[in-house]
This record gives sequence, C-alpha cells and structure tokens, in this order.
Amino acid sequence: MARKNGQELLLDVRDLAIEVVTRNGPARIVDGISLTVEKGETLGVVGESGCGKSLTMLSLLGLLPNKISVIGGSATFKGRDLLAMSHKELRKVRGGEIGFVFQDPMTSLNPVVRIGQQVMEPLLYHRNMGRAEARKRAGELLKLVGIPGAEERLDNYPHELSGGMRQRVMIAIGLACDPALLIADEPTTALDVTIQAQIVDIVKELRAKLGMSIVWITHDLALIAGLVDRVVVLYAGSVVEDAPVDELYENPAHPYTRGLLASIPRLKDEGAEKLSSIGGTPPEPGRRPAGCPFAPRCPIARAECERAVPALEPVKGEGAHRVACFAAGEIAEAVA
Amino acid sequence: MSDMALKQEDVREEPPANLWRDAWYRLKQNRMALTSLVIILALAFIAVFGPWLTPYDFLSQDLIARNQPPAWAHPFGTDELGRDVLSRVIYGTRTAFIVAISVTAVATLIGIVLGAFAGYFGGLLDRFVMWFTDMTMSVPQLLLVVVINASLKPPLARWMEAQYLETLNPIYRNSIIIDFVLVFGSMALITWPPYARLVRAQVLSVRNRPYVTAARALGLSTPVIIARYIVPNALGPLIVAVSAGLGTAMVLESAFSFLGIGVNPPMPSWGNMIADGLRVWRNYPHLLLAPAMMLAVATVAFSFLGDGLNDALNPRGQK
Amino acid sequence: MNAMTKTEPLLQIEGLTKHFHVRLGAFGEREAVVHALDDISFDIMPGETLSVVGESGCGKSTAGFTILQLHRPTAGRIRYQGRDLAGLDEKALRPYRRELQIIFQDPYSTLNPRMTIGEAIAEPILFHKLAPKGEVKSRVERLLADVGLPARFAMRYPHELSGGQRQRVAIARALACEPKFIVCDEAISALDVSIQAQIINLLLELQRKYGLTYLFIAHDLAVVRHISTRVAVMYLGRVAELAPRARLFGNPLHPYTKALLSAVPEADPAYERKRQRQILQGDVPSPMAPPAGCRFHTRCPLAIERCRVEAPVWRETSPGHHVACHLAEGGGE
Repeated sequence: MARKNGQELLLDVRDLAIEVVTRNGPARIVDGISLTVEKGETLGVVGESGCGKSLTMLSLLGLLPNKISVIGGSATFKGRDLLAMSHKELRKVRGGEIGFVFQDPMTSLNPVVRIGQQVMEPLLYHRNMGRAEARKRAGELLKLVGIPGAEERLDNYPHELSGGMRQRVMIAIGLACDPALLIADEPTTALDVTIQAQIVDIVKELRAKLGMSIVWITHDLALIAGLVDRVVVLYAGSVVEDAPVDELYENPAHPYTRGLLASIPRLKDEGAEKLSSIGGTPPEPGRRPAGCPFAPRCPIARAECERAVPALEPVKGEGAHRVACFAAGEIAEAVA
Repeated sequence: MSDMALKQEDVREEPPANLWRDAWYRLKQNRMALTSLVIILALAFIAVFGPWLTPYDFLSQDLIARNQPPAWAHPFGTDELGRDVLSRVIYGTRTAFIVAISVTAVATLIGIVLGAFAGYFGGLLDRFVMWFTDMTMSVPQLLLVVVINASLKPPLARWMEAQYLETLNPIYRNSIIIDFVLVFGSMALITWPPYARLVRAQVLSVRNRPYVTAARALGLSTPVIIARYIVPNALGPLIVAVSAGLGTAMVLESAFSFLGIGVNPPMPSWGNMIADGLRVWRNYPHLLLAPAMMLAVATVAFSFLGDGLNDALNPRGQK
Repeated sequence: MNAMTKTEPLLQIEGLTKHFHVRLGAFGEREAVVHALDDISFDIMPGETLSVVGESGCGKSTAGFTILQLHRPTAGRIRYQGRDLAGLDEKALRPYRRELQIIFQDPYSTLNPRMTIGEAIAEPILFHKLAPKGEVKSRVERLLADVGLPARFAMRYPHELSGGQRQRVAIARALACEPKFIVCDEAISALDVSIQAQIINLLLELQRKYGLTYLFIAHDLAVVRHISTRVAVMYLGRVAELAPRARLFGNPLHPYTKALLSAVPEADPAYERKRQRQILQGDVPSPMAPPAGCRFHTRCPLAIERCRVEAPVWRETSPGHHVACHLAEGGGE
C-alpha cells in the first residue's frame, strides 16, 4: 500500500513536541509524535490518559491550555504549517477547515445560548452567511446529524436536550462549514453504550455522505475497530505503532498494543479466568525513562531498551505497518 | 501481577507529602504572599511588644516640641500636643491588632456555630439562620454601628459608674474599656454573616462528598465523621476568609475611629490619628502620613496573604 | 461454609423501591418524584458475583446504595441473615455496615484528602475494634500487600497515587472491615484499560481468597461477562432480565438486553464490518415521568399495544432465568 504516493496527505504532523511547565521545571508531555491523515481517511488515535493524544490535537488548533506549549515540530495541513500560523489565520482554520468535537457535550456547549445560535456561529463567522440563511443551514445540519424535529430544536437550550442529542449538536457544529478534517476527541466516552452506537452510526453515515477525513481520539480499541482505516497507538507521548486497522488487530507488533488488546475482555468469547494485564502504570511526564518509554512495564524488555529510544520503522522492512520496538521483528517471527 | 504492579512504582521516592506542608510550599513560592506574611508578623511583633519598643509614653506631652517634623529624636515627628507620633503609631498598631483579632475571632465563632448548624441540620433551622444572616447583611453597617453606639454607650457607662461606686475598683473608671467593648461588639455583629454563609456552604458541600458517604459505608459514627472528615476539609476556605477578614476589620476599626464612633482619644488608633492629621495635613503632612501608611501597609498585606492562602490551599483553582 | 448456607441466599431483596423527591423551577415551586428504583426483587447467593448492568439513570447505583442503606428505601425489604436492614436505625445498622461494604467509581473522591493511606485503612479497624491497637500497623501492611501495594504506601496521601493505586487502597479499606459482601459501584469505570484488567484480576483473586460476594454494578458488558456468575439488566428503575451469565449472553430474551449486547463494540475490525447491529433509537425517558406499561416500550422495536398499557410481570422462563417482557419466548404467558 503506497500510502504517501498514492493518496494526497491532508495533515502531516512531524516530530511534534509539547512541554508543560510544572513546579519541578518543564516536562515533555508529547515527545516527537509524527502522524499523517490522508484525504478521506479515518484515523484512530489510541492511548491511555496522559499519553498526549488530546493535547496533540489541541496543539494543531492553537488551543493548548496555559503553561503547556509546543516546543518543536511541524503540522502541515493543506500545504500550510498550522504551528507557524498567526492567531488570525488559525481562527479561520478552526471551525472552518477543521471541525472539532469534544468529549463532554454537557460542558462544551454554552448553556445560556440557544443551540440554533451555536450551530449558526461558525456559519456566520466563516461563511459570512446572513442570519436567515445560516438558520436554514443550521436546521439542515441538525437534520443531517439525526435530531428529530430539527427545526423546532433550534430554539432549545442545551439543558433541554439529552447527552446523545447534545453530542449530535456538537457534531453539527463541527461539520457546519464542511471541514476537510473532523477531529473527534473521545466523543462517545461520556455516553451510554446504546447512545454511543447511535453516534458511531451517524458519523459513519456522514462520512459516506460528506467524505471528510476524521481523526477519532479514543482509549477504546474495541470502539474504533469497525470505524477507522488506520490506527496510531500512543504511549507516554510517543507513537509506538501505526498500522492499517486489520493489520493492527491481527498482528499487533508492539508489546504495548499486544498487552492492550489482550487486556480487553471480549464479549463474543467465553470469559477467561484471568485477564492478561499490563503491570504497573504509565510513567508521568517528567518521570519518563531514558530509553523506550514502555521498557519498565514491558515483559520482553532487554538492556538496549533501557538505553535507547527505538525509532518508528516498518515492521517488515517496508509497508504501512510501522512500530517503534527493538524486538518487533522477533515478535512478528514468533507469531508467524 | 502484583509484583509487576510494584516494579516501577518503586521509582517514585519522595518524602511523604502532607496537604498542609504542600500548601506551605506553594505559599513560599508566592513572593507577594510571603512578603505580606513577614510584614504582618513584624506588625504583630510591634503590637505585642509595643510598650517596650516605644521611645516615649504615647500620652506624654511635650508642649515645647509641638508639630515637629521627623527628626532623630522623633522619627515620625510630634503632633500638635507634642506627643511622639512613632509611639502613638505603635500603640495604634496595638489597637488595630487587638480589635482585628478579637472582632474576627468573635465573628468567626458566631459564623462557625450558626453556619455549621444550619448546614448540617438543614431544614427549618437552616432557613431561619439564613434569613437572619441576610437580614443582618442588608442593614447598612454604619447605621447599625451608630445605633449600637448610641443605644448602648450611655447605659454601659452608667453601669460602669455604678460598679465603681460600689467596688471602688479603678478598672471601672477606664472609659477605654467601654470603647473597646462597644467597638468589638458592634463590629462583630456586622461582620459575622459572611463567615456563617461560608461555613454553611462548606459544610453542605463537604457533607455530600463521596468520601463522607464512603465513611458512612464503613459504619463510622456521626461524631467521628464530622470530626475527621467534614471539619478538616471545610477548614481551608475559612482560613482564607479569616486572613482577609483581619484586614477588613482593621479598616473598619479605623473608619469608625475616624468618625469618632470607635476608639476615642486619647487612646491612639490609626483611624483617629488620621482624623486628627487630616485637619492639619497642609502644614504637617507627617501627622496624616504616618498612620495612613501603617493602615495601608497592613491591609494590603492581609489582602495579599489572603490571596496567597487561597491559591495555596486550593491548588486546583489555578490549573 | 456448611451445606445449609450454600443454598440460603446471603441477601434477599424484596420489592425494593426508592423514590427521590426533587424540587424544580427557579424557586423550587414544583415538586417531582424520581422513580429511581421501582419494585425490584432478587436474591444474592453467597460467593457469587451478581452483576447489574444498564445505562445511566437506570437505577443500578441506587440499587447498590439502597441495599447498603446509604439511601433508605421508600418501600421493600432487604433481608440479611434473617434481619430486615430497612427497619433498623443507624446504630443498630452499624455492625451490618461493617459486613456490607462498597467500592466506588472514583477512588480519589472517596478517600479523605487529609488522611494518609495508612490512616484511611486503619480507621475502620480501630473504630470497629477488629484488632488490638498494637497490631493495627501490621494489619494495615497485610491489607496493602493483599491489594498489591508496598507497606511504605501507608505514609502517602491519596493525591500522590495514580488512579489504579487509589482504587487498590479503596479495596484495602473495604477489606479492612472484614466484609462478607461488597458492592462494586462502577469500580473500574474510571480507570485506564490496562489498569482495569489489573483491578478485575485483583477483585477475582480476593473473592477466592476471602470467599466474598460481589454485587458488581457496571455498564461495560464485556467486563461483566468476564467476571459474573449471574447478570441483572436494569432499565428505568426496573429489572428487565436476570439470568446466569451463559444464558444471558447466549440466549437473551428481553429486547433491551439484545439491543444492549448489540451495541457493544468488539475489538475485531473484520467482525465489526460485517456485523448487523440493532441500534436503539431515541433516548432513555426521564425517570421523573416513566412511561406507562412496559417502561421500555418507547424504544422497543417489537412493542405492541399491550406493552403500552400493561406492565409485564416478572416471570421465570427457565430455572434461574427471569424476564419482564410480554413477548419473550420460553415459557407461557
């Protein structure tokens, strides 16, 4: 699969590094993350809390919180470096060319503004639409994300909608200006499982209809299995594996990915007596080991893992499946 | 599995931290707050050891050396009766601290009792206490103090006189006591409502924290839960409020003394010194400047310390 | 454990109901009743793990709280060792509180931030006088070892620990009471995937070691399948279906159970792509105004007229398999 030649890259993040200022001095939260999104592709970004997955995406839009800043790398979106843009240019990209859906629909909507107005906001700002036109479009958008009685809902306040409906509104806002890229940061984590299924369903439908690229950030490997084309696995601020979706679930190459997949109880299998688990906890930023960040928890770590950081390289010498592990070749052989 | 769980946690070696120690650490990081603390401690030292520090008696008049500008003999100069301003300012500090501490202590005590009962028991008691609190807050402060002064001073003075005639104890002739009692009383009566509200809100929020439910689930008894789970966790904001309240009390005392309804001459207070100084400030600015500076420095210090304590005790608020 | 107690339930829950009264409107002028729990009945057998699953607002956590008398029930009985806990006052409850423990979802907010881990674990031991004063320290260390933490953690404060470690502490504190029964209220939901597996394994290990009985409240069906003996599915304050694990997952009878199972994603791309999902439409109605008849009828793909008017009875279709649905096969009307 000649990814980089065949398809046009929409987003190309290289060696992104992000630091936070703590009372013990600066600490690296994101340590050289590189990832790409092709046109029309859905990318899953997987990792546990604190791995830097959300900050990576926030940094692209200049939305990092105080005391956290980008200290290196580039993020090329449609040929322009997002990280080098002025605030004014970035504002045009935000909500215009890149839509964002946050985790918590309860707190991400302004509670005192009617949802119609909130959906219209990006249209008024980015598309210079008149109010009447924007309102009409907002109604269409709400219908598009499957909100029943969409037109009447425009005048509702967020608290009058359920969590699932609010998340649909968030998606409608994210999609308002036909963005080339939609970044969804754990959009279903706060929702119940039947509502989660509804949201995943609607996103799949919208993708087929609108053809935008999606970056779906999550901690749930099961959730994205049927949704994404490619998966990037993050651990402690670095990419440890990057593979097409089938390849990742069938032949995970990194011990962390393998551990994660093994620790998920499966609904379709009979419950095993003991789940395999990864011991220990992820290192905090600023306390990460010198070598491979996963080495202290890795069951097959050896001396070199504690000294050097492995580079992200193709598993079989070439191809789209890349992994950052010294022992990956041996794992692949042992499995084969 | 358990062994694996430990493997890398062993890396974390730090002295066991304590929330109060952490708060102290954060306070030390805050220069403004730390400077304020040093100033306040210095002022407190002056207040406590005032009688040993003053170069002159604050009442002794030197009619030859009246209205002297600052000089070696009188660093802050002398006033129109030839009294040493430095000595008077030092006694003023004493007054300010005595009033601020007693008033805040009484107000906090009223606040804790009313607020804790209202918050813990809720219901009708809560409604009554809060109604009473709101009523008190809605009365203009100055008016209340004037009313208290006007209505209580004469009977109190008569009672003191009667006591003196009966016992011949000189303590009953000391009119300063009347001043202080009235000032404490009236100021405490107008400053307690915020404390009551704060304590009630704290008790209400802490009472519903999951760890209190967890403690109930452990089968612990109510007194144990209040003493070990509710009170320590409700204390932080109260400390902040008390620190800020001390500054406010000092301003109030000065304001009332300035208006002549607080501490009266000849007992020095920053407020009545400012009032005296204001009449002659064109000719003798030092008479106004010395007490005004002291008051400003003290209140600013308390206010910054309060802010610092707030940040130190509520670290989550900053992030 | 003798032969008698094997067949006797540890807890018998009969007609348990919990309504909350809330005030609405800017001035609290309207009063409404939240039907958090409506007439639920089941037994909990010693040594088993009974899981309760359902979506938010279905009353599963209320069930756990009410069984432990952290909420007092509006109606119904909770029989434990022949005593009805609902009728006891706080003082009479205390010895039972010790034996019936709970582990909460968020281990951070359930630990007193001003107490060290050691103090937190020692508290119930001292209060209930479960060990002589001199032995408390070694007891705490043993409990920490039980949950896989080193003894020096006793000196730490909750905020210095990671989420998984705090949950281990919460478990140790529950164990300190020497309980017979533990409610795990979403005890692993807040944890990262790799840590979840550690805690699940720990819970199972402790269950074997101390013969504990769990009421496992969760929304993650895959986890529930992994650890349960029996599973109860709740919807809007009522139990929709209750069955042994294999039957509930292998042969679900209630349409809601089926929909719930269908909504759970699997970590298998090929399977997910060809999977036919049955996606429930709409949202859970408000528990302040639960629908008449079967509470699920507003979202049920199979609902008929009867479902709208008549609440289905709780019936046993095969041994141990209970369901509340007019249309469920397996057993007559």
